[in-house]
Amino acid sequence: MGRTLATGNNVAGHTLALAGEANRHARGCCAGAYPITPQTEIIEFLSGFKFNKGRIVLVESEHSAMGVCIGAALAGARTFTASSSNGLAYMTENIYAAGYYRLPTVMIAVNRTLGPPWNIWVDQGDSLMMRDAAWLQFYCDSHQDLADTILLAFRVAEDKRVMLPVIVAMDGFVTSHTQMVVDMFEQEQVDAFLPPCVIPHKLKHDHPSTFGGMTFSSETEHHRYAIQQSMEQALPVLEEARDEFENIFGRRPAGALETYETDDAETILIACNTMARTLHNVVTERRANGEKIGMIRTKLFRPFPRKELLAAIGNAKRVAVLDRNHSPGSGGIFWLEIAATLKDHADILLQDYLVGLGGGDVTPENIHAIIDDMNKRTTASEPEWKDTSI
Amino acid sequence: MMEITICGRGGQGGVTLAKIIASAYFLKGKYVQAFGVYAAERSGAPIQAFVRVDDEEITNHNQVQHPDHIVVLDRTLIAPGMDATLKPGGYLIINNPVDKTEFKDHFSGRKVATVDATSIAVANDLGTRTVPIVNTTMAGSIARVLGLTLTEILAALEHLGFTGPNKTCAREAYKRIHITTLPGEIHQAQAPAGKVRVADIFDEDVGGMPKIKTGSWATEKPERRRLTPPCNHVCPAGNDVRGFVEATGQANYDLALSLLLETSPLPAVCGRVCPAPCMDTCNRAEFDQSVNVREIERAAAELGTRPAPNRSTREAAVAVVGSGPAGLSTAYQLARLGYPVTLFEAGDELGGVLRTGIPSYRLPRDVLDDEIDYILSHDITAHTGCQLKREDMLRLSREYQAVFIATGLQNVSDLDLGETDAPAPVQGLHFLEKVRQGNERLDGQRVIVIGGGNTAMDAARSALRIGASEVRVVYRRTRTEMPAIHEEIEQALEEGIILDELVSPVTLVDSANGPVLTCQGMKLGPPDDSGRPRPIADTSPESRYDLPCDLVILALGQSHDISILPEGSVIKEGEALLGLSGAPFFVGGDFATNAGTVSAAIGCGVRAARHIHRTLSGEDLFPPPEEPIASSDQIRFNRFAHQSRAAVKTLDPDQRRRCFDEVHLGFQAGPGGETSVGQGAVSEALRCLSCGVCNKCDRCLEYCPEGVLKRDDKTDGYVFDLEYCKGCGVCMTACPRGAIYMAEL
Amino acid sequence: MSAVTPSKPYESHLLRPGNTNCAGCGMSIGLQWLDEALGDEQPVLVIPSCCGIVTAGAFPTSGYGVPTAATTFASSPAVATGISAVSAMNDIDNPVICWAGDGGTYDIGLATLSAAAERNEDIIYICYDNEIYGNTGGQRSGATPVGAVTSTTPSGKVERKKDIMAIMAAHRIPYAATLSIGHREDFLRKVRYARSVKGFRFLLMLSPCPTGWKSEPDQSTELIELAVRSGLFPLYEVFDGRRYRINQRPDSTSIKPYIEQQRRFREVWNNSDALQAFIDAQWQYLDGMATVFPAKDI
Repeated sequence: MGRTLATGNNVAGHTLALAGEANRHARGCCAGAYPITPQTEIIEFLSGFKFNKGRIVLVESEHSAMGVCIGAALAGARTFTASSSNGLAYMTENIYAAGYYRLPTVMIAVNRTLGPPWNIWVDQGDSLMMRDAAWLQFYCDSHQDLADTILLAFRVAEDKRVMLPVIVAMDGFVTSHTQMVVDMFEQEQVDAFLPPCVIPHKLKHDHPSTFGGMTFSSETEHHRYAIQQSMEQALPVLEEARDEFENIFGRRPAGALETYETDDAETILIACNTMARTLHNVVTERRANGEKIGMIRTKLFRPFPRKELLAAIGNAKRVAVLDRNHSPGSGGIFWLEIAATLKDHADILLQDYLVGLGGGDVTPENIHAIIDDMNKRTTASEPEWKDTSI
Repeated sequence: MMEITICGRGGQGGVTLAKIIASAYFLKGKYVQAFGVYAAERSGAPIQAFVRVDDEEITNHNQVQHPDHIVVLDRTLIAPGMDATLKPGGYLIINNPVDKTEFKDHFSGRKVATVDATSIAVANDLGTRTVPIVNTTMAGSIARVLGLTLTEILAALEHLGFTGPNKTCAREAYKRIHITTLPGEIHQAQAPAGKVRVADIFDEDVGGMPKIKTGSWATEKPERRRLTPPCNHVCPAGNDVRGFVEATGQANYDLALSLLLETSPLPAVCGRVCPAPCMDTCNRAEFDQSVNVREIERAAAELGTRPAPNRSTREAAVAVVGSGPAGLSTAYQLARLGYPVTLFEAGDELGGVLRTGIPSYRLPRDVLDDEIDYILSHDITAHTGCQLKREDMLRLSREYQAVFIATGLQNVSDLDLGETDAPAPVQGLHFLEKVRQGNERLDGQRVIVIGGGNTAMDAARSALRIGASEVRVVYRRTRTEMPAIHEEIEQALEEGIILDELVSPVTLVDSANGPVLTCQGMKLGPPDDSGRPRPIADTSPESRYDLPCDLVILALGQSHDISILPEGSVIKEGEALLGLSGAPFFVGGDFATNAGTVSAAIGCGVRAARHIHRTLSGEDLFPPPEEPIASSDQIRFNRFAHQSRAAVKTLDPDQRRRCFDEVHLGFQAGPGGETSVGQGAVSEALRCLSCGVCNKCDRCLEYCPEGVLKRDDKTDGYVFDLEYCKGCGVCMTACPRGAIYMAEL
Repeated sequence: MSAVTPSKPYESHLLRPGNTNCAGCGMSIGLQWLDEALGDEQPVLVIPSCCGIVTAGAFPTSGYGVPTAATTFASSPAVATGISAVSAMNDIDNPVICWAGDGGTYDIGLATLSAAAERNEDIIYICYDNEIYGNTGGQRSGATPVGAVTSTTPSGKVERKKDIMAIMAAHRIPYAATLSIGHREDFLRKVRYARSVKGFRFLLMLSPCPTGWKSEPDQSTELIELAVRSGLFPLYEVFDGRRYRINQRPDSTSIKPYIEQQRRFREVWNNSDALQAFIDAQWQYLDGMATVFPAKDI
């Protein structure tokens, strides 16, 4: 396809379709799909796509959408779906099932605030709610990042060292409905990049077994431990995938995280998704004024890349986390993970800022204010609420 | 702290029992804890529950590892090592019936308390038959061991809402518990096994057979049994009625016939003349109609091939006096056993009453001759025209190794009808003999037959056939009490014979218009010695009237003439004689029993042959005692579809009343009435329910929920895999004929 | 009558010996007959949370001798859809069969079931209906009959049993039928017929639960026979949701022997009017439908 003008949803729908079609010489692809704002264009695209060996099943609920994916994966097909917000909430039981069943489904989470009360705008809380479900999670900041990461997601998920499902998240409306320039893929390239989907534990007629029945504590313990080990394997597998991607597409997509101006930074800000792009511009501006500011975009959330993050923080002594999400009774969820990462670094001042909850527009001014606040600080305090509703 | 482990099966109330014990101590002010190990709700699966009791608050929530006492609710859970974790001095409290002692093998050195809680619970209707709820009962026995008072444990029951029978059971168990210390040393606990490899979802070899042998859940096991079908039980000849009917149903006529020929050499005869008590007792009558066994026997005789006769192999020779059915039967059975037999018959032809007493329209000559020929084809020498008397018996006792007398009923009952010039009444049997010889005609005559048995019917119908213009049967009771076969009476009436019920003859006199029989009307009174209502003369004047007639035939019954027997002989149980030296004498048939049927006579012959054989060889061929009879309670009628009897053909009354052609023509098939004996026989035979005897219908196998029933050709039936059978009893219920029952383990 | 199943080795029985179902479980008999009806064909079973999946026992062994997928409670028709869709696109013909209890069918899974039926997915859905949530200890479900005592209706259920067959017929699926474990030839014929047609097929089997019904295990088949003969559980088929064929009319058997053998009916032992009214209304409807919309030519 090459250089294209498209919305985030178009990009997602199209990339999923190409990835599904790439499995046409194996078991094919299948998706259960149910619409919810702001994801509807993805499934509309998929419904119109002419698969050579694939079927989009329009079900009656998100819970069933994941059910269809589970069934199709158990039958050995490549599977995918998309949802947001309360759709993800309704799907939760089966999201956990897919995770514990270790089926390599890819789901696009178009991040949207959970409700009621109803709010259609962006907030990472919906996909983060699934952080314990044994799914990998990627957070994308741009249309290109989204397209590239979806392909990476299939490659990593279906790798037998990982064999876990993957959420690929984008900002609702800000990415999903915004038209931008993006370099889209050709089918032959995707065919070359993605090997056929092989699910080693799929249902077999020559050797029948029961999948998912009663399991006692020792098998369960072992199972969870194996999932953790596979999660850890995701990082080296991701690196291999990035290498392969670069060979075919000529560019290297971001890995677990992206750094900018962190080498000699004294203060580092951490954010994800489109907010990280705004942050990028502010860092450029502050650097031009001589401040030693850097930023980290956390792209991979599960597994949480602790080692990589520590390395990226380096010698910086002040770290600010911008969380467009919140766990009531505690704080921002990225902050909680980063605090655990920094448990042996009491000398680093780590401060959480809650910004853009419920979809408020996070402007450069908001970020400047945060940096100014960081500069004044001598100690960290409880998570700071920064009102971005102007 | 006291800790108790309860081992039971799902459904027995183990967890509730833990709560009952805990309640008892709670009411005494203690801290308590009661819980079970939870999995899925499965009746019959082994479960564990725990109780802790302490003076201080209990903070330990782990499962009990070293109990002070172990309760066992189900003795089938007892296994070696079960007591391994029990503290020294602790008790095993076991629900155990008095006669089971496996626990003694496994718990040496331990203190053991036992009570039969299951019996107590079942007697008080707690739970279902397969899963009796024994917890409240056991609470009583446990209380005793723990030192709780009866009041305290009853209070605990009340606290949890248990009333009535539960308290009764607890009380009972408290009283009846038996406490002992087993001799020997306490077994040491085994060292725990090393770490077991845990399976992974990616393993290639997942999905194997389940490891639980669910046979350990069963409290009962299915067993096959063979009851006695009522037809077999009642057959006077001892035929395997069910057996030959089943064989016929499979169109295996040879097998059917050979089964018949085991006990009866006269199937073609009996298939025509037997009153068929088997049909009267057939359980199918409660469903739609009894199976037409007689007709099937006739068909088997017609369609089957007889086995070749054997030659004699023994030295000992036997004499049989009388060639009626009893004599023929005995001779046949003995010849089959290898004895040379000599048959003595007073008449000119063999057969006794078969030939002289049953008219050919009921039993064609050629049919009888054919069966007698087959009997004689065995090593039997027959002498006809040989009237033996008492003095001949001594000779026989020296020339032969055994003698069997079956001379039938030689004496006929007479009736005094007064002095008369009218032609004298004729005895029915003599009349029939003359008819048989073909010399008799009664054209235009009016005949009265006095009597109600088969001879009366035979005489009446024969009179009709030789031209009588009117035939009346006069009987002093009603049709219901007539001893003749019902079909005979029906056919007689169809042929136009008139039945005068409740009439007794008084005198026969001559008159200007010919002989007249004066008759007295009767009423039925209370039963007499025969069990039938006693006929009492009606005293009203109209009750006496006259019947004109040309011939009176008497058919009032017969009795035996024992003058043939040596003096001082005693008939013992109808079977044996005393008082003669030399060869042993046996008697049978009507001569001995007056049973009055061909099949009874045949049965006598079978038994006589066994007696004789046992006396001469020592070998006892009498069958073992009968299994219980399969009553209609054992039959599940709802399994079967109603099916009316296969069609049989009888000659039209108008056609048959003037000739001696066989009246009854057997099975017919097809609307056009073409004879297809086989089709009719098979279809009728398939109506048999096979009461109490497995006929491999496969229903048990089809209904087994576990799929652990297999066909077993070696045992000609089925085998149950008791390793997996849960003892549910569905097979027992599925069997339509009571051939499976649930036995104690 | 020549049952094939028992002669297969235990490993390839659809329901293997050593499974942990209660003695006399109606579901067990249904599974044996399903195995018999399918003959040489090996299905994929899709089983939601219910007694049916506990049957499989603990990983890694399995009480099922065919590939089986355990699904969340409401999801079996959705998961079966996924399997069926992929099978179809790969020319795999093994039948995909949902085996679900009444909880997952009448209640929590009804939306999923309805949608799969509306899409006419190529699935056979068999509900073994024991009229309670059996696996969780016997609470009431939408399938519980009026008057029945359950652990959540200690005085007897007030509402009547949901008519799931009417609901499924309203979806105009190719085939819906009731099955009885007291009527083997009828059962086998219907399963085989279902297998022979495509699209969504719904089969409803009344399944005694001796544990939940408080009945004797050896009476399981007798009870269902009584239920059929008394008219409480009709045997009938609906083709394309429009044409009705009644397989067996009630005879004069009273409802009493059926309810008197189950302690769950103790509240109605002396007053079964509501149950009888339910039966009468049910047959008025069925007779009407079979008269106006008969299935003549099948």
